[in-house]
Amino acid sequence: MAEMTIEKPRRRRVRMSLGDRIFDAVNYTLLCLLMVVTLYPFLNTLAVSFNDATDSLRGGIYLWPRKWTLENYKFVFEEATIFQATLTSVLRTVIGTVLTVFCSAMVAYTISRPEYVLRKFVTIAFILTMYINGGLIPTYLLIRDLGLIGSFWVYIWPGLIGVFNLIIIRSFIENLPDNILESAKIDGAGEFRTFFSIVLPLCTPVLATVALFTGVWQWNSWFDVFLYNSSYEHLSTLQYELQKILQFSNASTRSVDFTAAGAQQGLSQVTPYAIRATMTIVASVPIIMVYPFLQKYFVKGMMVGGVKE
Amino acid sequence: MTFSLVGKQSAGRGIILKVLTIHPELKGVQKKVSKKRWLASTLSLIMVLALVLTACSGKKEAGNSNSGASGSSPTSNSSDSGGDSGGAAQDKVTFTMFVAVQGEKDVNTNETVIGKKLEEQTGVNFKIEHLVGDLQTKIGTMIASNDYPDVLVPDDGIENVIEAGGFIDLTPYIDNDKYPNIKKVYGPYKNLMKWDDGKIYIFPFSTVVGEFVPDPNIGQGAFWVQRRVLEWAGYPKIKTVDEYFKVLEDFINAHPDEDLIGFVTLTDDWRFFATTNVPNHLAGYPNDGEVMVDMQTHEAKIYAGTEWEYRWFKKLNEINAKGMFDKQSFVDNYDQYIAKLTSHKVLGFFDYGWQVGTANNALRDAALADPSLDGYRYFPLPVVFDENIKDQYLDPPGYVANRGFGITSSAKDPERIIAFIDTLLSEENQILVKWGIEGETYLRDENGRMYRTKEMVDKMTQKFNEDYGFTVFDWDWPHYGTNSTLSDGNAASPGLQPEVFQMTLTDADKKILSAYGVQTYAEMFADPDERPWYPAWGFAKDEPRQLFEQQKSDLQRNHIPKLVLSKPEEFDKAWDEYTKALGKLDVQGYEQWFTQKVKEVVANAQK
Amino acid sequence: MDNNNVLTGVSVAAEKKPRGLKRFFKLLYQQRALVLMSVPFVIWLFIFRYLPIWGWTIGFQNFKPAKSFWEQEWVGFYHFEFLFGDERFLRVLRNTLVMSTINLVLGFVTAITLALLLNEVRHLVFKRVVQTVSYLPHFLSWVVAAGIIRVTLAPDGIINELLMRLHLIDEELLFLGIGEWFWGIYGASIVWKDVGWNTIVYLAAITMIDPTLYEAAEIDGAGRFRKIWHITLPGIRPVITVLLIMNIGYLLESGFEPQYLLGNGMNMDYSENLDIFVLKYGINQFNYSLSVAASIFKTVVSFILLFAANNLAKRMGETRLY
Repeated sequence: MAEMTIEKPRRRRVRMSLGDRIFDAVNYTLLCLLMVVTLYPFLNTLAVSFNDATDSLRGGIYLWPRKWTLENYKFVFEEATIFQATLTSVLRTVIGTVLTVFCSAMVAYTISRPEYVLRKFVTIAFILTMYINGGLIPTYLLIRDLGLIGSFWVYIWPGLIGVFNLIIIRSFIENLPDNILESAKIDGAGEFRTFFSIVLPLCTPVLATVALFTGVWQWNSWFDVFLYNSSYEHLSTLQYELQKILQFSNASTRSVDFTAAGAQQGLSQVTPYAIRATMTIVASVPIIMVYPFLQKYFVKGMMVGGVKE
Repeated sequence: MTFSLVGKQSAGRGIILKVLTIHPELKGVQKKVSKKRWLASTLSLIMVLALVLTACSGKKEAGNSNSGASGSSPTSNSSDSGGDSGGAAQDKVTFTMFVAVQGEKDVNTNETVIGKKLEEQTGVNFKIEHLVGDLQTKIGTMIASNDYPDVLVPDDGIENVIEAGGFIDLTPYIDNDKYPNIKKVYGPYKNLMKWDDGKIYIFPFSTVVGEFVPDPNIGQGAFWVQRRVLEWAGYPKIKTVDEYFKVLEDFINAHPDEDLIGFVTLTDDWRFFATTNVPNHLAGYPNDGEVMVDMQTHEAKIYAGTEWEYRWFKKLNEINAKGMFDKQSFVDNYDQYIAKLTSHKVLGFFDYGWQVGTANNALRDAALADPSLDGYRYFPLPVVFDENIKDQYLDPPGYVANRGFGITSSAKDPERIIAFIDTLLSEENQILVKWGIEGETYLRDENGRMYRTKEMVDKMTQKFNEDYGFTVFDWDWPHYGTNSTLSDGNAASPGLQPEVFQMTLTDADKKILSAYGVQTYAEMFADPDERPWYPAWGFAKDEPRQLFEQQKSDLQRNHIPKLVLSKPEEFDKAWDEYTKALGKLDVQGYEQWFTQKVKEVVANAQK
Repeated sequence: MDNNNVLTGVSVAAEKKPRGLKRFFKLLYQQRALVLMSVPFVIWLFIFRYLPIWGWTIGFQNFKPAKSFWEQEWVGFYHFEFLFGDERFLRVLRNTLVMSTINLVLGFVTAITLALLLNEVRHLVFKRVVQTVSYLPHFLSWVVAAGIIRVTLAPDGIINELLMRLHLIDEELLFLGIGEWFWGIYGASIVWKDVGWNTIVYLAAITMIDPTLYEAAEIDGAGRFRKIWHITLPGIRPVITVLLIMNIGYLLESGFEPQYLLGNGMNMDYSENLDIFVLKYGINQFNYSLSVAASIFKTVVSFILLFAANNLAKRMGETRLY
């Protein structure tokens, strides 16, 4: 904040040329347009989630619900399993993200050291796996043989290091000025200390980026639950429970006998369309809320950090 | 370029200073080290912790599999939580059940009213899990690891599970006096139930016990038309496809400013069959899948590319030229289709009742709230090509061979499961799972006829049905097939009981039905002829047949829009292209395979 | 535990490089900290990523999951022949390549442009708001997103409405029914959905640029475009290059969901890609072998592309992937 106040007066001194003004005008217009286009789907989903499900079937819901209701949310939160599942989701996201960021950064550091004898070997070993896929069944059998089925750690270990993340972090570390690392060495710092006290702090923007990528990926994952832990409900996650809810929102239409016998009125309160909108909101709002906290690391004012004393 | 180089060089000097200013927290690198160490040790601690925990959980898992009951480790937990009332003669046991169909909620059966009653009788609870992702993956992993739940409803995966030896042979239990109820329900079908290798692997769902009762509702195929169209036209008799479209056309012409859509068709993904099956029905055949089976010779002939299909798409082409066909049908997905049907703009369509349930329910709910909207509801009609064709929309008593309930090779105690099934199939218990408990969900009048009161029907919401267990037991189990009758003449399924059906009718329903001189929707349709092989789509298909169906469907997906949307004078050219492409597929092999299967089934049924 | 890891690390490495052993071990010992920091993860990598590769054999079998490895029926290149022999294969391959190229080029250009534009915004709150909003569509599943795209493109949707009002068309267009337009719709959809998300990594890269460079440039009288061209872009160039090389390796992976959810009979000649083909004729038919064969094919192509791209980067003096 203090830096901001220094920056502002200095900025004002910069004379705005005509070109600058035109550029700004065009730029702001473009960005506002982009906001309209990207905000709309979310608002639309929000409106559908608060609109009467049967009414939504007719279509034509845009930015505002036509027939307000909380039924869709009730339907989702009626499932007691959702809360335990949310906890599991939070746990896997937090633990998974911390471990992934830390481990990826560590490996990335080693393969950014030009003098490291195993550098090429380690790098290539990792890169090749980006494009190789053993297939579903062999992977499943491996996970089973490792005893990871029915275990929380099946959410963590198989995806511990993403090669994509690894390479991004490496390219950031390589971009650090050499003499920072050298001077640390001269100070007698070992590899671990250099890593912890120089590399990690200097790479916060990329680490925040990788944390975001990993966090969102962990939060949204449900296929591994489906594959490995579907019969262990204490290990279910929010996304998986939402998938289930989506599917049985369809149930009332499945059995014809029921529509004849029981479904006299008011039975079709929920529809997959409405539930899909609701679960999108339920699943994405928590993770979106985390964003501003990470955002400060990579959306800095251009000059904020560069103020000289 | 040069600029940036210069920049880089200048940046090299005094870089430490700049870094320190960028990251003020680094100012005293030395001082801060202790803090960073703390961070490091925390992280390492997490790592170590994680490793230890994994090792532990790994061990736990290993312990479980040593104990022999592989894949069912969670059962012991849940039976603890579920069992709280005694009364069972035997020890309580929980079996795992996997239903490879997306749908209802995962439950323990003893958490429902009906399931609790059954547990009291047998001591058996089932922990049911439904499919969430894709079937092929889930079944594939089960097969590959040879690790099944105790009971499996494999849906489409049936051939693969059987081929893999995943099911136990049920032959000894079917015609066995030790299990009189199983014998009563499945004994008559035991020849049909045999798989190619002569063994029996599943309890199918569609076996009829007692007299066959037709469904008064139309859950199956029909040409649907808005009720207001019929009312406006004075409830005309509509038999042929020409009459059908004539009424729609007249109605549109009489309402020029309403922006009406004459006809839509559903083409989304796997639901595409609602578009391709039509000529078959118009020609007076029931839904046997891709083929029409001759009643005398039992020859199976594919109807794609035939004169029937030509006539239907030619008709649609004509309708399109008149601007009555909704072009968007070929790009809309299911959601958009349902939205159209509930929009009041669409006058007619062909589809299966179960597939448009959401739309029909929504329209009915609206009409209940405001009876003036009743005209926007749809009425089913048995439309055919020509006056002399007898419609066959209603399902004949059928036997779906490739859907059922099997006991897997991993099952802990198959005998116990069989004993449970035998108990479940007793008539009292079939009444329990279908009608519920007398006084709560049904009553009997002085003649012993079962019925439900208005209050009962009203309280039976989706939630109620779930908690009670109706949704749990309505399908997926060995049971009296939907069209069965109880020994006292009542329908086994409440929805098929005339008393129940009549009570669900609104005044408007009664008005339109009486205008056509019928009591039920089904009476609009001709009675189904007997077809022992029905439905042919239920035959378990081999790989070449599955491949053919995929290829055929892809080809039709590509060509049918061209047929319907082309200019009328170009229709024949488009048709030639289509049939030429179709001719490249192995149509003959497909027909031969089906003919042979039909003949086998007929022979088995006559045994 | 630490010692163990060092030892295993040595043995793994020793197998790989048998020459100059003595010097190698000496170096390795000197760099034991680095070894300790990386080799445990290489072991992890071998377990989780390399062990399952035995599954490639499935592509050469008529794989039945119930049978053990020794009982499988070997069919050689049968599934490859089926794949390459299908008359639709070339078209499916073309669609895959075109769409992934669109994805690659458009994805990069728009994300980098947006990052640059955002970087020029001085109003910090506005900048953060734009950034947050622009990444929202990433959180919609493709099912929801495709639903919105369909409604927007429908004859009574906003696009048709707009074009009609502007008298650019006389009759509503059936956008998703015009095969030739599918690639364009696909490109616009993925940009709309992911441009904000893809920008993040470039924004992070921009924050790493030494701010004094901009000051120096300003003193030299450099304008905005010159600064973008000579400082910002070169500053994020290594990241761009590395990402580009990695993504070129993915050229046969054009995604699956948007094509599947927006595809229909009328545009299938343009929307059907390799993954959809494999889904229909492999997975949905329980033919696991065909999907493995397709994945082997993709891997081989990926390696070739990766190698080519990396070599090109090397020759051009750019940052390399390895």
